[in-house]
Amino acid sequence: MPLTPKTTTPKISVRNLNFYYGEFHALKNISLDVPEHRVTAFIGPSGCGKSTLLRTFNRMYDLYPKQRAEGSIEMDGENLLTTKQDISLLRSKIGMVFQKPTPFPMSIYDNIAFGVRLFEKLNRAEMEERVEWALHKAALWDEVKDKLDQSGLSLSGGQQQRLCIARGVAVKPEVLLLDEPTSALDPISTAKIEELVAELKSDYTIVIVTHNMQQAARVSDYTAFMYLGELMEFGDTDTIFTNPAQKHTEDYITGRYG
Amino acid sequence: MEPTHTHHISRQYNAELEEIRSRVLQMGGLVEQQIEQALNALVNGDTSLGEGVIMDDTKVNELDVTIDEECQHIIARRQPAASDLRLVMAVIKTITDLERIGDEAEKIARMAVRLADGERPKNNYAEIQTLGNHVRTMVHDALDAFARMDAQAALQTAREDRQIDQKYESIIRQMITFMMEDPRTITRALDVIWAARALERIGDHARNICEYIIYLVKGKDVRHTSLEQIEKEILGRRT
Amino acid sequence: MSYAKTAENPIYRRRRRTNVLMLSLSSGTVVFGLFWLAWILIVLLMEGTDSLRPALFSESTPPPGAAGGLANAIVGSLLMVGFGTLIGTPVGIFAGTYLAEYGKTSVLARATRFINDVLLSAPSIVIGLFIYAVYVAKVKHFSGWAGSLALAIIVVPVVVRTTDDMLRLVPNSLREAAVALGCPQWKMITAICYRAARAGIGTGVLLAIARISGETAPLLFTALNNQFFSTDMNQPMANLPVVIFQFAMSPYDEWHRLAWGGAALITLSVLGLNILARTLLARKT
Repeated sequence: MPLTPKTTTPKISVRNLNFYYGEFHALKNISLDVPEHRVTAFIGPSGCGKSTLLRTFNRMYDLYPKQRAEGSIEMDGENLLTTKQDISLLRSKIGMVFQKPTPFPMSIYDNIAFGVRLFEKLNRAEMEERVEWALHKAALWDEVKDKLDQSGLSLSGGQQQRLCIARGVAVKPEVLLLDEPTSALDPISTAKIEELVAELKSDYTIVIVTHNMQQAARVSDYTAFMYLGELMEFGDTDTIFTNPAQKHTEDYITGRYG
Repeated sequence: MEPTHTHHISRQYNAELEEIRSRVLQMGGLVEQQIEQALNALVNGDTSLGEGVIMDDTKVNELDVTIDEECQHIIARRQPAASDLRLVMAVIKTITDLERIGDEAEKIARMAVRLADGERPKNNYAEIQTLGNHVRTMVHDALDAFARMDAQAALQTAREDRQIDQKYESIIRQMITFMMEDPRTITRALDVIWAARALERIGDHARNICEYIIYLVKGKDVRHTSLEQIEKEILGRRT
Repeated sequence: MSYAKTAENPIYRRRRRTNVLMLSLSSGTVVFGLFWLAWILIVLLMEGTDSLRPALFSESTPPPGAAGGLANAIVGSLLMVGFGTLIGTPVGIFAGTYLAEYGKTSVLARATRFINDVLLSAPSIVIGLFIYAVYVAKVKHFSGWAGSLALAIIVVPVVVRTTDDMLRLVPNSLREAAVALGCPQWKMITAICYRAARAGIGTGVLLAIARISGETAPLLFTALNNQFFSTDMNQPMANLPVVIFQFAMSPYDEWHRLAWGGAALITLSVLGLNILARTLLARKT
């Protein structure tokens, strides 16, 4: 039985997903529905497979031999794991932000324009408009508007991470995957990014992996708790954090021995 | 899944939760004693006992403030979740009701002091004694259920509130009859009604505490719900 | 047994003595190495500077007893080093890219890396002989092209190694970030990885140039030498290292002067290239 929050339409439906790193069985028969235009958080102790699960959504594992997935992940009725669709096209619909900020070694402007140019032919004015729009969305415009031609690496860690979010937003994806986006940031930058997540959820379906339970509690509408490669519990965040059904979930979120 | 507030990775956290829990029981014990002594003062016309109860109410109030602060610290520093969060919430609410129970006991004690020198009624406040014993047992059972985190016992105890209400109503009817028959008893009857009223309020507070215990154990807010419904919900669901 | 934690503690004293001994030994060897290096540089400059006149760059190598310069050898060296780099660099970069981005730890990649390392440390005279055997002996004359090819073969392993190393230093997270935007792999490599590694790869190329500009052995069997000014790559070609070799061996004093001048010129150029490479690499971080 897949765990499906009621009263929402699923954007991504995972069914019987198994994932292997070589011999290691990292995800065990996962089934869940990620609701559209909501923030879904994956929490769990290190090595529970939450990042692995996130990375199956854009088939990031394709980059590495020996990693493979079985089962199905449907988005808009198409199985992402077996689709004939070009993988690059698929990934352009699913943006991703990583644990450490990863600005490209180019100007702030080009960092954002890079992704857009992959799929769109915009004239100069249109591109400038798009860059500004994306930077506004990521709440970074005011801080960088006078230095768009400077290297993206010249920004602070928090700014770099917001630049990466702007870069992901600029290509207008439908889903945004955030893999521990604030684990390397200070509390103020973290708060800004959490605020951003709340702003963005009306336009995007957001999935966030986090080690910080309070963060999951603050930003997400739904929370999935994973443990040793299994999905233990999935439900609305309020319930998970006040009255979880599983002992494992309770122990994890209250900080007890696992 | 029965919540036990131990086995956190942080032992300090265990200690803090255990601390507020035992403080609640301490406060409960004090309040129980206040009820008992207030009733004794009334029945025996013991002025000094009554004054002692009035004095000790400040102890109850101090405990209320202390536990409140401890809960506030836990929330600010630990961000409790799930059963820990429910424990802290339940404690905050429970101590408010305990403090009110203390106030009601003080009320009875004041009345006892005022009436001590006057004429004793023939039955020596028999109706108040019965009601008082019943209420005291209920408070005791509620605290017992809290100590054992026993939702079943809490539900049982909550049921007692109905009988207390019935007893209270019958006292009121009785007093009204007295007053109609003999207007000279009006003063005396009104005193009895006030005391009974205070005891009935204590019963309500005890019922509230039972509801917090059910919330704490079962994660289900059962305030403003009928007992039958509570029973159906908490017994039907994960035990 | 335990001792007090004071300056008299015997364990502490022994460690101090060992430290002083090791420090003097290693400082001594540094001074020893630097001494010879400085000596070489000083002698080169003292003997060579008076030859570094405009005529050195404008006139060709003279017959014995006459005055002249090294213009034909300088131009020949520039041409052969230039073509050697032009041929060797792309091959090296492509191969290095294959190793770092596609082959990774596959059997083919590991074999390639091993062979590349062998090539990297192969004596350059062997490479000269190889080109002699497969090219010069077939066309039956020495030529500038043969020299360029020999130099290119020396360039390749250096560039392969640095490209491979520098690309593997590019964090995987950067690749993932590019791919996550829907970027195909070839575009990720050219637009992101090369950009991130460009300073390192550039440094590798510069070091390769520095290395081949002083090579004598491979040119002896391939370009040989030419007394006259020539830019015809199909003919034997003058070049600095071989000219220095021949002139230094000769009994004529003018030739000795010119050899010193050439040696100083090469040394200074290589020094310049190395400094340039260092600054490039330093600016990257």
